[in-house]
Amino acid sequence: MALTGRTGLLAVLGAVVLVLVPSWWTLLAVDGTVIALVAADLTLAGNVRRLRLHRSGDTNVRLGEEATVSLIVENPGPRRLRARLRDAWSPSAGASPRSAAVTIPPGERRHVETRLVPTRRGDRAPVTVTVRSYGPLGLAARQLNRSAPWTVRVLPAFPSRRHLPAKLARLRELTGQHVALIRGQGTEFDSLREYVDGDDVRSIDWRATARRSDVVVRTWRPERDRRIYLVLDTGRTAAGRVGDIPRLDCSMDAALLLGALAARAGDRVDLLAYDRRVRTRVEGAARTELLTAMVRAMAPLEPELIESDAAGMVSALLSRVRQRCLVVLLTDLNATAIEEGLLPLLPQLTAKHLVLVAAVSDPRVTEMATSRGDAAAVYDAAAAERARAERRRVTAELRKYGVEVVDAPPDEIAPALADAYLSLKAAGRL
Amino acid sequence: MTALQAPPAGDAATAGQVARRRWQRSRGVLVALLALAVVGVLLALMRPRTGSEYLDPDSPGQQGSRALAEITRRHGTPVTVVHSASAAAERLRAQPDAVLVVVRSERLVPADLTALRGAPGDRLLITPSGETLKALAPGVEAAGSAWSTPEPGCTLPAAAYAGSADFLEATTYTAPGQATKCYPTTGGAGLVQLPVDGATVTVLGATRPLTNEHLAERGNAALAMNLIEARPNAVWLMPDLPSPGSGGQKSFGELVPFGVKLAVLQIVIAVALVALWRSRRLGPVVVEPLPVIVRSAEAVEGRARLYRSRRAADRAAEALRAGALERLTGLLGMPRTAASDPAMAAEIVAAIAAHTGREQAEIGAALYGPPPVDDAGLVLLVGVLDDLERLVRSS
Repeated sequence: MALTGRTGLLAVLGAVVLVLVPSWWTLLAVDGTVIALVAADLTLAGNVRRLRLHRSGDTNVRLGEEATVSLIVENPGPRRLRARLRDAWSPSAGASPRSAAVTIPPGERRHVETRLVPTRRGDRAPVTVTVRSYGPLGLAARQLNRSAPWTVRVLPAFPSRRHLPAKLARLRELTGQHVALIRGQGTEFDSLREYVDGDDVRSIDWRATARRSDVVVRTWRPERDRRIYLVLDTGRTAAGRVGDIPRLDCSMDAALLLGALAARAGDRVDLLAYDRRVRTRVEGAARTELLTAMVRAMAPLEPELIESDAAGMVSALLSRVRQRCLVVLLTDLNATAIEEGLLPLLPQLTAKHLVLVAAVSDPRVTEMATSRGDAAAVYDAAAAERARAERRRVTAELRKYGVEVVDAPPDEIAPALADAYLSLKAAGRL
Repeated sequence: MTALQAPPAGDAATAGQVARRRWQRSRGVLVALLALAVVGVLLALMRPRTGSEYLDPDSPGQQGSRALAEITRRHGTPVTVVHSASAAAERLRAQPDAVLVVVRSERLVPADLTALRGAPGDRLLITPSGETLKALAPGVEAAGSAWSTPEPGCTLPAAAYAGSADFLEATTYTAPGQATKCYPTTGGAGLVQLPVDGATVTVLGATRPLTNEHLAERGNAALAMNLIEARPNAVWLMPDLPSPGSGGQKSFGELVPFGVKLAVLQIVIAVALVALWRSRRLGPVVVEPLPVIVRSAEAVEGRARLYRSRRAADRAAEALRAGALERLTGLLGMPRTAASDPAMAAEIVAAIAAHTGREQAEIGAALYGPPPVDDAGLVLLVGVLDDLERLVRSS
């Protein structure tokens, strides 16, 4: 039950009556009338309990874009429903309008649209639908909370997809639309064909030439069907904010660009998110479906404020991969976390696989390192230099194990990682 | 529900729109406040200015009545000024042939009126309050007020000899048939004289004839003196303010009419209903776990503050030198390990000197010399390191 401002106004008008006719009976009559009218209004208000609520609309939205979800309200009751309806979503869903006025004649239905502009990644669900159904006099209303479940998955924004055309162009340069004649690194045998003028004589396959009357050359193409395993570290280092977004979101962005690129290059991409347990896993997705699958798997990931279990991560990885693959570990070059966690386990990984560590560096540290002026600024610079020295030391130690390291600020990490992948591919190290 | 009608948060309103919305929301209240202020000012202007000297027979001020009292005394009628009803009653008992002049009767409490009623002698009541009128001039009732310069229009000698008077504003009275009514207007008379219990009671609805300022105007002085000098003695009662709790005062509750009390009760009920209306939320407050906000550079900033608070110039210098060496060896094309290798120091210094033209001793002091002992030394060292780096970069 809820009252409206009209009830208060009615009671104030009653006060005027009391000044004119002062008696206790008048007071009783005035307030009795107010109560009776409120009761009548409540009785005649449209029934909320019997309303049928359904939903339709978007189920996926990229972060930063707008989704629309409709609430369909059906009034099966015999009375007209005049109501204010609030479709309450969690604050980060960015739902608007906050409430809407609806009038539904008996037996009819109405759509109430809610626009969502989510401010965070993850699954967003409506909490409750509150309906306040007013009586014909507008003095009182029945109010009830109903539920109408729905889920909108807010996907990562993937802002680095703007780099994809440039990287694909580089990839095409690498593979060539035509097969190469020169055997370079990172190529595999493609086919034999007849020699034509201009071909490199070094590519002549003498054995095949001897079997046939013509001179035959070998052709080569870049290797395909390599396996790439993307590992997202969702532990405490992923929670730190670089610029204004968590490190995890930067890592996801880089992983998505690399995934999109590798799928187009004909490689197989798998994804694992791990801190102390497997948070999500995408394996064996078809090339055309890969990006969708990755984005959907990443959407609900949140960094955990716990130290990642490197040993668990390595064993979770090794138990799934048999053939050689490129392991791309998206984490932070945090000295203690790497030295105590990952370094001792690296030989297991590098024995069979190629490991690439991609880390997002903090532009704030770079900014601090160049701060000059007074003593405070110089101390800032000294602390930043020390942090960078530690990072360099960790990088050097990782490289000693033959690990590739990509360390770049948030807006450059995705293209830098894509470039590193393309270089590895060009060098045939996959 | 204003909160519900507020535009969705996503809609960016311009400053002008916001200002207009605020104006529309608040203009009702502003108009009400303005109206209240205007009414207040008007009431304050209309209120007669009555000070402590008003109609005081000892006061020579404009609103006082000393002139009238003095003239009356010179004419041979002694005027005794008293300041309390009991003193007046005592005086009247001693001089039963006196006329009692009562001014500022709003200051009289019921006990005073009882004391006065018991005393003998005539009464001259100047703009008496309702209660005074009821106690001392029964049957006379205030009818309204009139703005005029009236003519006597009666046979009362005091008024008839005085002629027209200047009242400006006068309270008019109605009285039973045996009373003499002078200065008539449509609603009543400005001066009423009637016998009460064998004495003569005169009620004058104007104060101007008594004040120093307006005594000389028209027949004012004559009227006032005629009324007072009708008897051989005069007792002028100028009551002091009643002391608090001197009895007979009604409490606030007794003064308020019953209907108003009921209305107040009803308004309390209305306020409760409005509170119920406003307090009912449209659905629950929605809560949501928020992500932890940890800035990645927090540890680095913390270390910087630690350096600063401990004045650790030596450690800071060590870190800055290491960073500068790393970059310098990189620029000079030396192996990666050179920066951290003390054995390479001489070679590095020589290479930098060759590129920059600076003294080797100076470069050696900057890169490998004793650490600075204070903040000033540290800032100087950073300046030298930056210079070296810039020179090597540009060479």
